Amino acid sequence: MLMVSDCADAQEPEFAHLVRQAKAGDAAAFEAILCQFERRVLLTAMRLLNGNLEDAKDAAQQVFLRLHRSLHQLDANRQLASWLYRITVNVCRDMLRVRARRPVVPLEEAGHYAMAGGTEDAMRRDEQMLLIYAALATLPQRERAAIVLRDIEGISTSEVARILGSSEVTVRSQISNGRVKIRKFIDRQQRRRL
Amino acid sequence: MSCDKFEPLIALYIENDLAQAEAQAVESHLAVCDACRKFGAEMRVSQEALKVLRTEFVDDAVLLQVRTEVLSAASHRQRVVAWPRYAIAAGLMVALLAGWMWQMRPRARLELRPIAASVSAPPLAATVPVPQQRTRLARVRRHRPQAAPVFKSEPLVVKMITDDPQVVIYWLVDQNGG
Repeated sequence: MLMVSDCADAQEPEFAHLVRQAKAGDAAAFEAILCQFERRVLLTAMRLLNGNLEDAKDAAQQVFLRLHRSLHQLDANRQLASWLYRITVNVCRDMLRVRARRPVVPLEEAGHYAMAGGTEDAMRRDEQMLLIYAALATLPQRERAAIVLRDIEGISTSEVARILGSSEVTVRSQISNGRVKIRKFIDRQQRRRL
Repeated sequence: MSCDKFEPLIALYIENDLAQAEAQAVESHLAVCDACRKFGAEMRVSQEALKVLRTEFVDDAVLLQVRTEVLSAASHRQRVVAWPRYAIAAGLMVALLAGWMWQMRPRARLELRPIAASVSAPPLAATVPVPQQRTRLARVRRHRPQAAPVFKSEPLVVKMITDDPQVVIYWLVDQNGG
C-alpha cells in the first residue's frame, strides 16, 4: 500500500546515505529524497516551462521517475542536486519541443502560482512575477536554462556549465546575453505602460 | 574598447561573474563612462526583479500531489520490473527439477530379441506354399505382442496358423536361439 509521509529536512551529507538506502530498495529513503528536492525541481521546471504549473508537475514527475529508474547506476557520492537539475533541464527541453507543435497557452491563463491577491504589495509582486515569466519566455531555451540556474537557483557558473554540458565560456555568454535581453524586455514593457 | 563591447561584461560584472582582471577593466571603464554606468544601474534593477522568482510560493498540496503520483508510479514499476525475475527464477527451478528427475529415472534392463530372426524358420517351407507362407509370417509378426521382453529362463513360443484351421504349428525356441 502507498504511504505518503511528512517530509523531514535532510542535510547534504545525508543524501549519499539516502541514495544508498534507496538503491537497496528502501521506499522511505526514496521518499525522503523526493521531499528534499520536489520543491526545487518543480519550481525550476515551472521557470523553464514559462510558468505552466500543469506542465511543471508532469516534468517533476518524470524527473523523479527517471531518478527511480537510474538509482542503480547513480553514484551515491556524486552531487544529486546537479544530476536532478540536469534531468529537469532535459525533460523540460523535450516537453517544450512537444509543446512547440501544440497551441501555446497564454501566460495569464496558465494559472501557474497561487496569486496572493489582497494587499497592494502582493499584487505588485505577482505582476512583477508575470513580467519576469514573460521575459524568460522570450529567451532561447539554452539561455533561459542558464539564467534560471545561475540567477534564480543561484548555482555557480562552472556548475551550471557542468549541468548543461557546455563550456564555462559558452554558459557565461548565454548568461550575459540573457540578462541583457531581460533588461531590455522589462524596459520596453515599462515604457509601454507609461 | 567601445561601450557595445562592455555591455556583456557589465551584465556579468554586476553579479560578480568576471575574473579579477576583467572586473578591473570594467570598473575602469565605468569610472569614465556615464552611459555604461546608467546601463549597469538598469541591469541591477532588472536583476533584482528577476530574483523575485526566488520568493515564489508553491502550495504544499501541489507538492503532495506530485509526490503521491511519483511514489505510486514507482511502486507499480517495481512490481512490473520484479515480475520477469520471478518468472526466470521459477523457470530455472522447473529446469533443475526436470534435470534431477531425469537423473533419477528408473532404468529397466530389458533385452529384446528381434522376433523376425526367430521366425525365419524353415519348417513351414515344406507344408505351406511360398506366397501364403510370406503372408502368414507377416501376420505372425503382427500378432506378436510388441516389444515383449524375452526372459532368459523361458523358451520363446511361436504359433503359426496355416490355411487349414485344423493345423496349427507351435515352434519353441530356446534361449540359445536353437
